[in-house]
Amino acid sequence: MSDFPKILLDNVGVENSHTLQVYRSRGGYKSAEKTLKTMKPEEVVGVVKDSGLRGRGGAGFPTGVKWGFVPQNSGKPVYLLVNADESEPGTFKDRDILDHDPHKMIEGIIIASYAVNCHDAFIYIRGEYGWIVKRVQKAVDEAYEAGLLGKDILGTGFDLEVIVHQGAGAYICGEETGLINSLEGKKGQPRIKPPFPAVVGFLDSPTVVNNVETIASLPWILEHGADAYRGIGTEKSPGTKLFSLSGPVKRPGVYELPLGTPLRELIFGEEYGQGMLPGIELKACIPGGSSVPVLTAEETMAAKLDYESLAEMGTMLGSGGCIVIGDDASMPEVLKVLLQFYHHESCGQCTPCREGTGWLDTILERMLAGKGRPGDLDLIERVCQNMAGLTICVLSDAAVMPTRSFIAKFRDEFAALLPKDEEPEEFVPIARSAEDRS
Amino acid sequence: MAKIIIDGKEWEFEEGMNLFEACTIARGGEKLPHFCYHPGLPVAGVCRMCQVEIEGVPKLQIACNSTVRDGMVVNTRSERVENTVRQILEFHLLNHPVDCPICDQVGECALQDQYMKYGLYETDVDVGDKVMKHKAQAIGEHVMLDAERCVLCSRCVRFTEHITKTNEMGIFNRGNHSEVGVAPGLSLDNDYSMCVVDLCPVGALTSRDFRFRKRVYRLSSVDSVCPGCATGCNMRIEYADGVIYRQKPRTNLAVNEYWMCDQGRLLYKHVGGDDRLEEPFVREDGELSPVGWDHLWSALKARWEGLGESRRLVLVGSPHATLEELYGLKSLLADAAGGRVLGHRLDGTEMDRDDGFLMAADRTPNDQGARRLGYEAFTASELHDAGGEDALLVILDNDLAGLDEAAAEALGSYGAVAYLGWRENATSRVADFVLPGLSYAEKDGVFVNKDGRAQRFFKAVDGPRQAREDWRLIAELGEIFGHTPTWRAHHDLLSELSARLDAFGALAGGIGEEGTLLDGDSAAKEVERG
Ligand SMILES: Cc1cc2nc3c(=O)[nH]c(=O)nc-3n(C[C@H](O)[C@H](O)[C@H](O)COP(=O)(O)O)c2cc1C
Ligand code: SF4
Ligand code: SF4
Ligand code: SF4
Ligand code: FES
Repeated sequence: MSDFPKILLDNVGVENSHTLQVYRSRGGYKSAEKTLKTMKPEEVVGVVKDSGLRGRGGAGFPTGVKWGFVPQNSGKPVYLLVNADESEPGTFKDRDILDHDPHKMIEGIIIASYAVNCHDAFIYIRGEYGWIVKRVQKAVDEAYEAGLLGKDILGTGFDLEVIVHQGAGAYICGEETGLINSLEGKKGQPRIKPPFPAVVGFLDSPTVVNNVETIASLPWILEHGADAYRGIGTEKSPGTKLFSLSGPVKRPGVYELPLGTPLRELIFGEEYGQGMLPGIELKACIPGGSSVPVLTAEETMAAKLDYESLAEMGTMLGSGGCIVIGDDASMPEVLKVLLQFYHHESCGQCTPCREGTGWLDTILERMLAGKGRPGDLDLIERVCQNMAGLTICVLSDAAVMPTRSFIAKFRDEFAALLPKDEEPEEFVPIARSAEDRS
Repeated sequence: MAKIIIDGKEWEFEEGMNLFEACTIARGGEKLPHFCYHPGLPVAGVCRMCQVEIEGVPKLQIACNSTVRDGMVVNTRSERVENTVRQILEFHLLNHPVDCPICDQVGECALQDQYMKYGLYETDVDVGDKVMKHKAQAIGEHVMLDAERCVLCSRCVRFTEHITKTNEMGIFNRGNHSEVGVAPGLSLDNDYSMCVVDLCPVGALTSRDFRFRKRVYRLSSVDSVCPGCATGCNMRIEYADGVIYRQKPRTNLAVNEYWMCDQGRLLYKHVGGDDRLEEPFVREDGELSPVGWDHLWSALKARWEGLGESRRLVLVGSPHATLEELYGLKSLLADAAGGRVLGHRLDGTEMDRDDGFLMAADRTPNDQGARRLGYEAFTASELHDAGGEDALLVILDNDLAGLDEAAAEALGSYGAVAYLGWRENATSRVADFVLPGLSYAEKDGVFVNKDGRAQRFFKAVDGPRQAREDWRLIAELGEIFGHTPTWRAHHDLLSELSARLDAFGALAGGIGEEGTLLDGDSAAKEVERG
């Protein structure tokens, strides 16, 4: 796996990589310059479509196709919103780009904006990334000073304003329409779709929302071409991707790998995780951030890190946040942490999500407190079933996917929390059945 | 037009029509289960109750945020849909206190209705697990909030955001700690605040005026029209045992859509007010004394005759009187008995600001009706100049003296004053004869609103025992002046006036549900729907 061009982390580790001077000395902004000077916007969209680049924010939607949805003659401005809200447990990959290579993202913003005819772009950074906000703002200021942003960029006649916005610290503001509401100064909660943001988004105008990593992949793609990008990774998942590796491994961190790389390489490879901490065995792994189904140790060893292979295994590549779980951890406790998160972060609009996330958390809390009831696992399954696919955004599903898979794959650990062969505990029903009434 | 199949039956609807509405029609008027959808508000899509199955779409879809497309096959009653709705309902009930026995919404609660229909199951929730929220908070002059009963449908929030644009209400916090309330430092005191009570599908928002006064299933209801201003909001009067308990807006997309102002809604309080004229009065030895009707009529006749050879009759109508009454007054006492009609209102009075929403500048309900019958506004000096010792002034429900000091003085220039009305006021107090009539809630009638829309309203309750329908009083007056009316029953008045007067020809075929525009549809108010 050592033989691939680094597309995203090539500058990370270089001293002062976050400055314009270092970025330029390593060839930075050449791609944007070439793009603006020699290509038409629709050609840029074409290259990105051909490259097969898929959104790195979690859903993996083809970026060029998304751009193609933007109506070009709506009479309204087009906005580009860069999603740097990165708040999912186990996901901390965008942070490396924002922190160490902000100019790569800015260069990507210039390219993307040019492609979709946007003249006002926003970078929405999660509230807790305070120091990163400063760093990104500094980089934007540098770019303005150097004539890379603002009016008539590099003498091409293309204008682009970029505004850095700090969120207030809510996971749901990473969902694209939640982000739009938040940026508009409204309560950060997702909007119902349709309409889709590509048509009616920020300030009711056509809007493209892209993840930081997606945007940061653009300079390389436009410099080297779609074919070169397709030469990396797999047929359906071209290119490289960032993986944030956490858990009891020797070297947690952010790594760039071609898509299609075996998951065990990420965890055990010498250049990457270097294996489990001494005395701890691999028990499970959530490969794509906390919102996707968990893999057992066996599945982990067999999995490949690309969209299609993980889908075949019943999970997802998601954001590439790889959470390794050791045999010293209790699966119900791990799940409790996740459910607490979703319970806390549900925006509360949709009834199944608002009530379901809280209910799941409550049931598990009760089980962990030794007050489980015989039917609890079935109850959890029933609640999950009624939370999935019925809400405005997929946060509800994001809570369901780990829950169902944890219980399916590690059922014994959960069953051990329940009383065995006892009479169900009596409790006062609030509502009685129809028979009781009559 | 789009052809679509709903529950196995083919329908034709406008392409792009809201699917929730299409389903309502296809289900014979039975709406899909819902809490958040309201045709007068932007779609929120949050309660997730209106799920339907659309062939070819793997997930269930909410009907309220879907549109009719040609070729669509929709199922609203499949087992999958029913099961899902049942489960979503369970989520709604999860943290709900289900304290129906002590809740004022009982009988008109969407949650209770759905629950009785779908949710008669044992609950899996432990009572102790419920999230507690604030109860019984007065959030404004007219509205109480019990946040625990709220199903977070956001209707009230959308109303204050998009309709009144006053933004007092919001949903605060996240997840299952989300709680509806008013923004810090604000209270819900806009002119339409009680509409949130109508909108609230559950007992979270209740009317401070109405709560705990009557169980709603004991109320009867009658269609009416608000007499509060020239808009003529359509409403229902709800009453029991002869007592009015509340007024609620009745949907009329051409007039008030779904709303009415608080002031109009609370007008019913005057009906049973302390200032009702309950008996006939005659001024004797300078004092108004209660008398029987026979006494009043003979005293009035004697007085009329006592005004001498040159005696004259002067008539004042009212923008508060019904079309029928105004027609009766004019046709019988003026055209037949030779009285002089001065007009229907004192120029420039009873006007206020137009609030740009419903409340019209003209705070009377039937100015247009009066004008189309030929009544005009008059001044206090005209009132004075028409007077004289030989003149009997008959005033129909119009507080001239209370509206204008000069008019009060002008009344003194008449030989005698007879007042027909239902509330005691400055004018009734100086009159020589007081003939107690009925309020808008005690009789049928027609008002013509500011757009020239004739609208009917109907009797809800009986008036005071001695009070009489105003049109009958007018007929009796006619007899005194020697003229018997051509009309025998109340409805004769409307048929006669629509047959005789071109301006009211449009009413010949009756008055429609949405009222009837006297000038035809060209003058139809463009309803802004957003
Ligand atoms: C609950 C939730 C949280 C999300 N958080 C993020 C996030 O922090 N960053 C991100 O890029 N995308 C996030 N997404 C995905 C975005 O909605 C959106 O799909 C993405 O930003 C699109 O960019 P891409 O096409 O470049 O991936 C989230 C989605 C959901 C449902
Ligand atoms: S699914 Fe959950 S987080 Fe998403 S909009 Fe609905 S309530 Fe909010
Ligand atoms: S108070 Fe009533 S109207 Fe407002 S959100 Fe709650 S349930 Fe809906
Ligand atoms: S706006 Fe006018 S007609 Fe409507 S309720 Fe208020 S007072 Fe009555
Ligand atoms: S009525 Fe459709 S989601 Fe609430």
